[in-house]
Amino acid sequence: MSTESIKVTINNKNFQVPKGARLIDVCREKGFDIPSFCYYADLALQASCRMCLVRIEKMPKLQTSCTIICTDGMVVTTQSEEVEKAQRGMMEFLLANHPLDCPVCDRGGECELQEMAYDWGNLEERFIEQKNYRPEKFLSPMVANDPQRCILCKRCTRVCDEWMGEDAIEAGGRGANTVIGTYGGWLDCSQCGNCIEVCPTGTLLDATYRHQARPWELAQTISTCSFCSDGCQMSLGTRSGDLVRIVARDRYVNGLNGEFLCIKGRFGHPFVNHQDRIRTPLIRYKKGGKLIPATWDEAIRHVAQKLDAVAEANGNNSLAIVGSPRLTNEALYTLYKFATELVGTENYTTTDAFSLKPFFDNLGGPLATHHDIRHAGTLLLLGGEPEELQPLTGKQIRQAVRNGGAKLIVINEVPIRLTEQASQFIHISPGTLDAAALALRSSANDQSVSRKMDVEGKDLETLRQTIRDTKGDLVIMFGGELGAEAQAAIAQLPYSLGAEGRRVLLHPLPIYNNSVGAHDMGMMNGQMNAEQILDAAGDAVRALYVVGSFRGAELRGREESLSRLDFLVVQELFETATTAFADVVLPAASFAEVDGTFTNNDGLVQRVRQSIPPVHSAKPDWIITAQLAHELGVDFGFEMSSSAVFRQIGERIPAYNGLRYPALKDESSPVQVNHALAGETDLTTVERRLAEIVDALPDAGQKHTETPKVGHELFKIGTLTGKVAQFHLLAEGNPRPADVNISPLYQITIDDRLRVDAAASGD
Amino acid sequence: MFIGAIGCEPLQLRRVHLENSKTLDVYRRNGGYEALQKVLTSMSPDDVINEVKKSALRGRGGAGFPTGMKWSFVPKDSPKPKYVVCNADESEPGTFKDRYLMERDPHLLIEGMLIAAYALGAKTNYIYTRGEYHYLIDIMDVALDEARTAGLLGQNILKSQFSSEIYTHTGAGAYICGEETALLSSLEGMRGHPRMKPPFPAVSGLYACPTVVNNVETLTAVPDIIRMGGEAYQKLGTEKSGGTKLWSVSGHVNRPGVYELPMGYDDMEKFIMEDCQGISNGKKLKAVIPGGSSVYIMRADDIIGKDVRMDYEGLVAGGSSVGSGGFIVMDETVDIFESTRNLTEFYKHESCGWCTPCREGTDWLVKVFRRIAAGKGLPGDAKLMLDLCDNIEGKSFCPLGDAAAWPIQSAIKRFPEDFRKHLVQTGSEVT
Amino acid sequence: MSSQLTQIQPLSQPVDIPEPPATFSSKVEAEIDWHFAKYPVARSAILPLMFIVQRERGYLDPPGVAYLAKRLALRITDIWEVATFYSMLQTEPVGKYHIQICKTLSCKIMGEPRITEHVCRKLGIKPGETTADGRFTVSLVECLGSCGTAPMFQIGFDYHESLTPKKVDQLLDSLP
Ligand SMILES: Cc1cc2nc3c(=O)[nH]c(=O)nc-3n(C[C@H](O)[C@H](O)[C@H](O)COP(=O)(O)O)c2cc1C
Ligand code: SF4
Ligand code: FES
Repeated sequence: MSTESIKVTINNKNFQVPKGARLIDVCREKGFDIPSFCYYADLALQASCRMCLVRIEKMPKLQTSCTIICTDGMVVTTQSEEVEKAQRGMMEFLLANHPLDCPVCDRGGECELQEMAYDWGNLEERFIEQKNYRPEKFLSPMVANDPQRCILCKRCTRVCDEWMGEDAIEAGGRGANTVIGTYGGWLDCSQCGNCIEVCPTGTLLDATYRHQARPWELAQTISTCSFCSDGCQMSLGTRSGDLVRIVARDRYVNGLNGEFLCIKGRFGHPFVNHQDRIRTPLIRYKKGGKLIPATWDEAIRHVAQKLDAVAEANGNNSLAIVGSPRLTNEALYTLYKFATELVGTENYTTTDAFSLKPFFDNLGGPLATHHDIRHAGTLLLLGGEPEELQPLTGKQIRQAVRNGGAKLIVINEVPIRLTEQASQFIHISPGTLDAAALALRSSANDQSVSRKMDVEGKDLETLRQTIRDTKGDLVIMFGGELGAEAQAAIAQLPYSLGAEGRRVLLHPLPIYNNSVGAHDMGMMNGQMNAEQILDAAGDAVRALYVVGSFRGAELRGREESLSRLDFLVVQELFETATTAFADVVLPAASFAEVDGTFTNNDGLVQRVRQSIPPVHSAKPDWIITAQLAHELGVDFGFEMSSSAVFRQIGERIPAYNGLRYPALKDESSPVQVNHALAGETDLTTVERRLAEIVDALPDAGQKHTETPKVGHELFKIGTLTGKVAQFHLLAEGNPRPADVNISPLYQITIDDRLRVDAAASGD
Repeated sequence: MFIGAIGCEPLQLRRVHLENSKTLDVYRRNGGYEALQKVLTSMSPDDVINEVKKSALRGRGGAGFPTGMKWSFVPKDSPKPKYVVCNADESEPGTFKDRYLMERDPHLLIEGMLIAAYALGAKTNYIYTRGEYHYLIDIMDVALDEARTAGLLGQNILKSQFSSEIYTHTGAGAYICGEETALLSSLEGMRGHPRMKPPFPAVSGLYACPTVVNNVETLTAVPDIIRMGGEAYQKLGTEKSGGTKLWSVSGHVNRPGVYELPMGYDDMEKFIMEDCQGISNGKKLKAVIPGGSSVYIMRADDIIGKDVRMDYEGLVAGGSSVGSGGFIVMDETVDIFESTRNLTEFYKHESCGWCTPCREGTDWLVKVFRRIAAGKGLPGDAKLMLDLCDNIEGKSFCPLGDAAAWPIQSAIKRFPEDFRKHLVQTGSEVT
Repeated sequence: MSSQLTQIQPLSQPVDIPEPPATFSSKVEAEIDWHFAKYPVARSAILPLMFIVQRERGYLDPPGVAYLAKRLALRITDIWEVATFYSMLQTEPVGKYHIQICKTLSCKIMGEPRITEHVCRKLGIKPGETTADGRFTVSLVECLGSCGTAPMFQIGFDYHESLTPKKVDQLLDSLP
């Protein structure tokens, strides 16, 4: 939009508005209420609901203000008998076949149609005919559908197409028989539930929340998602200690993600109140024995004694500390403090194998926010699979290309779904992504690079040409497959690729919600990574303090070493493969039960807010760590207040300098932490090393030619998602039940577990 | 059924009665492809457009938009490919003229399209035929093959530098696909929903490229315009509506058929009573829908002795419009309440469902009609229907909504007695 | 809410999309290729292809739909949204002879009701139904562009115009 301003007259008042502004937005901004349903910012225009009609002088008919771009001297009337009759007429049409069953509708109380009907509905109901009837049904384990309430605004089909690139839900039929649905009535997609979120009526509903509560009974708490590194803002709907549902509706929360969430963010929460949560501290008094419930005092005393004894006997480094990249900054910082200040061990890390340390140590430019991605000129995606692992980033990339005309270059060993949007897809041999970093630095190594990647030399030239031609921002994104040297080389690209009118922004794609925070809090500065610690367990490492659990990838095959430890203490929500070897298990509180912050892949530090009291006797991780410290004779001075922890983070961690919770209050204007730039560093050794690595790669391996299935990562059963019955159905391939009118949870039983869980989750 | 011209020499219907009229051979022996030859050898694209402008040819699809003007909207400097699309969707109730033109004189359409393609620089062109006219697609495909073999279609047409292809395309049963933007959606393989205008097809049409959509009858008029000159063609009709027009006559007349009349033919009464040989079975004329189902219905009183001239202006003065020229004649036995209900059912069935007023409005109106027909009319039903029509008219996304409202509005206004008859038992007042 | 509810659209029961999709003879495949060649964008061929699948398989059955999705490189839902928009595309089986009687105004006033009644009585079914032997389906459809030769119906793609009960008898009796 240009900065030039033009004159528009609305209801006899004159306004200066930016050239290119949309009339409906202008009217609303100037305080004139315009009803609408189909208009939704940043989606393709539809102009089908006809609610937004206004009178514009010199135009023959009433015009839909959602489609009109203001022109200089435009004279508009939004309030007149004629306009009001038209708007009320449309409302009447929309309600004609609507069942008017708000009292039994899950959307009642937070329904746009209902609210609009209060303002624009007629007092008299003139429609006395038979209503078209369509039965309620399920579209998937996640999506319940009452087609009769539909007003065909098609927001759902547009978000499915434009945001998700899935096109799984569509309008079928014609005229008054038009219905939103799918072939065969079953929804085969990533189950993000965004169609539910944007639906302005009670047509598409959260099947996991069906008939559970009325919206007004729920307390809404704004918080940050605890699954991936995108850091979506969400509203936690809770009632008497239960987390009932999660939404991103803009009436409750306005974060970087708008109303977008993915399946995990929206539906992955039932673990919070799950019956399998660890209820009390547990102590295994002798190896091979049982875990026996204990009091907190007992447990903390027991742990402190044991840790002290091991450190005493074998030295500080024999005590290793491992945190999860899912923890809050507060928990990670406290743990870091515990490791470095109290224990004085060099062996501390997170459970994640991927460390962003080489990247941040060489950082040459700012991190791209999701807003930057949406408005970029060129997007370069190295490895990764954002559509499954960082779905919001995936959506922003898709929209940047589809709605913003950005160019996308994908370099990947797998033809991921986003290649559909790509202007160039460089399909490389497996395991050769590091070579791409080399190609981006210069053409010097093109020969070996193209040979190893098994691509044409001209592909690399096209890639560099697109970058040279970029106007606006160049955003470079990379996934976790990138090696340390390659990360360093990428981090320095802003110095070599930046130009007049072209910013180069970086966007790492780590897997976990607080991978970036874990780095920032110092947890990646230790001497060993998780794998090495496991390998040393029972030898150099005699005791382990784990907050969270090891990942299968590292633990598998190394369980033996855990059993050889002198002492293992684990803080967890659930019993896991790691707690199976623990001498003490301490029940930790989930993200829904704690205050704190996460730092996302934009470098935005965002609030996590307590929405319910800790379940059973769980405690926030940082409090447990602080109590252990206290028992060991050191008072961290946090006074049971997470804001005190964060204040100390603001004092001690330069990137967070001066930050306090009040500065993070408004989720609609998130704060980016100030990661220090490394300046232009001499990369000769790094590049030489990288060239050696590339040379050492095997020549042209067999390429992966199959595009991975939607949900192959999203539906994976993990400790948390495994607690959601519906995820088991999806993991089993989302089988279609015989009767779509009855919840699939009652009809399809994958194993006995599912049935138990289904009952427990209350559906 | 009668097919022929009245009040003028047959122009577009010149060849329809010849034996084997659909063959290239007969077509060429009767002046076929001479206009194309003339265009390719002696006229620039702009000359062609100017000639069409001079002819005062107005689109025969229903909207009556001046064809020359439409062609001149196509941006000449656009680097994108351009398309000419022939609208052979002919689904307006009461209209069946395009069908006979294509059935009996397919080469006339091919020639007209090629001239249009030349004028607009189109290399690829499509004939969008309604799916029900499957047999016409076969006829057109045969004719296209003949033309291709004879060097009249494809590369270097008539050995000139001009190359252009024409393909047939089939609809699949949707009236809305006659609306030009819905037609383009359908041709792109989508649901046949209309698109937002602007941008108009001339700027961004098929595959977002400049596109001209013209009715069959419009395009088949072009060769004659070139042959005889725009001015001479215009003179056949009136100043603002040039040439001749095909009227599809159906209903209660003794001789239904496709009639070619000069624009401005005087007058409608004579046309019905003499040319169409009067009302069948000796009944009295009650009503006429002169331009396809979407126009205002006329009472016999507004025709008999009223000297209604048959062209765009004349019919507006007479209280209706030319539309697609689907001329439906109804005798005194027809209940206008029932006939209007019939058309409303049509519009409900054919509403594409995109926009609220048309989708919900037609559904509601049909329900009111059915309720009244079932003897459950209420006082105020007529008023309700008029108000619903008012809430549809001018507010729908495309003109189908208007087209659904107009028959009802005019019928209630002009035939209140027929509505009253259904409402009296409950004491309803018809406004 | 006092008004009664009427079901206007039966719920489509879940359909399984079979693997593998339908296959066609090389002659039919060539016909399909010919249609693809007409358009710069493959999706444009969707309606012609649907008619071919319908002709070959009776209606757009699940294997046929799977074939279309694969051949057009579209999602199954894209096939569904298009197929359900157009009234000539059948997503349920129809009889061998699909009698489509025009019921719009000109035909209506020129004797459609008489023809419909006659056809239905002769076949023993109501509009919208198929005879038990699967030979005939009767539908009432909107204007077919034969108003000058009303009343009329279409059997499959064939027009039969200026109908009288006698003509109907002759016609139906002569069908193989
Ligand atoms: C609902 C609707 C249906 C239409 N159906 C047809 C049709 O069947 N045939 C046709 O030629 N034009 C039809 N039109 C008009 C077209 O939109 C368009 O104006 C016409 O094809 C332009 O060609 P012309 O300028 O040669 O008339 C229809 C318009 C509307 C709004
Ligand atoms: S008026 Fe609206 S619903 Fe009706 S056909 Fe046009 S766009 Fe479709
Ligand atoms: S908001 Fe403008 S038509 Fe729906």
